[in-house]
Amino acid sequence: MAITKKLIICLLAFFLATPVYAQPGPLNAIESMVDSILEVLDDKGMSLAEKKAQLSGYAHRFLSIEAMSQRTLGDYWNGATPEQRDHFTYLFTRILEETYLNRIDDYSGGSVKFLQQRVRDDRAIVDTMIIADEIQLPVQYRMVYEGGSWRVFDIVIEGVSLIMNYRASYGEIIRRQGYDGLFRLMEERVAALTAG
Amino acid sequence: MLKRLLPLIVAACIVFSGCAAIPSKTPANTADPAMTGPVGQQGAPIDGESFDADTDKAFDDDFGGWNDDFNDWDAPVKLIADPFEPINRGVFWVNDKLYFYLFKPVARGYRAVVPRPARVSASNFFNNLATPVRAGNALLQLKLANFGTETYRFIVNSTIGVAGLFDPATSVAGVRRVPADFGQTLGTYGFGHGFYLVLPIVGPSSLRDGTGTFVDSFADPFRYSGVATEDLLLIRAFDSTNRLSLDRDTYEGIVRDALDPYLFIRTSYAQRRLAQIGEPVYNLNILQAPVFDSDILNPLEWFRLWQ
Repeated sequence: MAITKKLIICLLAFFLATPVYAQPGPLNAIESMVDSILEVLDDKGMSLAEKKAQLSGYAHRFLSIEAMSQRTLGDYWNGATPEQRDHFTYLFTRILEETYLNRIDDYSGGSVKFLQQRVRDDRAIVDTMIIADEIQLPVQYRMVYEGGSWRVFDIVIEGVSLIMNYRASYGEIIRRQGYDGLFRLMEERVAALTAG
Repeated sequence: MLKRLLPLIVAACIVFSGCAAIPSKTPANTADPAMTGPVGQQGAPIDGESFDADTDKAFDDDFGGWNDDFNDWDAPVKLIADPFEPINRGVFWVNDKLYFYLFKPVARGYRAVVPRPARVSASNFFNNLATPVRAGNALLQLKLANFGTETYRFIVNSTIGVAGLFDPATSVAGVRRVPADFGQTLGTYGFGHGFYLVLPIVGPSSLRDGTGTFVDSFADPFRYSGVATEDLLLIRAFDSTNRLSLDRDTYEGIVRDALDPYLFIRTSYAQRRLAQIGEPVYNLNILQAPVFDSDILNPLEWFRLWQ
């Protein structure tokens, strides 16, 4: 009797756990993301514009834009109207795209080591190491399980969290100049980045 | 010389103790307002969403500090106090102009004349000479493995590496430099930043780290080499120019991308220092395992055995 009970619990636990753990783990998600990106970057036959378009697509597949926006605003996300949230998400995405897609020229080879993954509930941390020239750069991906897959919402490079950086700056700007002040600055930045 | 230094340290200690806190371990809700500074959204819990740390108490207990990385996800941004922001912004502005109109052009000219290997060697040379700072602070922090690493690197690089011009400790034995400074040492013993400081020419710092830099300068071999003060400054200027010539436009990128570069750099600085003070996330053993399974060349292993 006791054995059947245990068996049922085990089976139950297994089935309950399956939806999360049967999926490719966070480390696999990061691996396929990095591999896809490097493949595009290394492709000699592709033009810069094609690469940008391709990578922008990947960004939407592997990143959780919503979680990133939400975390960037922190408390101010809760205080924002739905329109403000949408507007912010749009501008923030544009800034990220312009910032990082304009950097693909800087890429000059390198390899990535995948070190370990840590999972807790619907969150995960994946540690990697980027190796290029004489540099070793620890890069940590922070992920959430969302809509059936693991998605990145923060990148921590040598202990510096990207989202934390944005949050500190944006929060300070909202505090001083309100949402409209932040949006104005963001629009200016997007315009400058697109032009330059 | 120590006599002159002591009062300063004592004074610094008194100032620090007012805002001392072990930053990474401070629970989010009990944030000390002195530490919070103008950056944070004080007190109020950040994003009231599903990531609730205290439901996982048992989980935490099982794994000890393993979960700190998860728990700081939702911590409010309480990185560094900046009561002198207007002054700091002024100095930041001056530094910015100095960078774009003086230091960077000089470094660019230097880069055009001197080939990269020579510049890397110069950088190795200065890094090797700064070993006393890193080794001394590793010792002060009781990080014996790091002390061993630095000692080993110094011996290998000073001999096989031709007076430090080359870095065979890294390139052959895979033993990397472990940065350490006195500001970090103070941090590991629980001293807070005090407040953020932008120093002329030097850039981002804090009361604690600025004191650290000053203390570290006493472990600089050039100080005791009998060179005149002007020459010492010249050597420093050369070192900085050389380092800048190896940099890949980091600052330019920040200025181009950030809404407010001042805020961006302040947060990055605070985060970076926090990470340097906290426990290392990456175990060097994991990294070197594929190359050096036996680890005969790797003194880290020898020290870990009895540590």
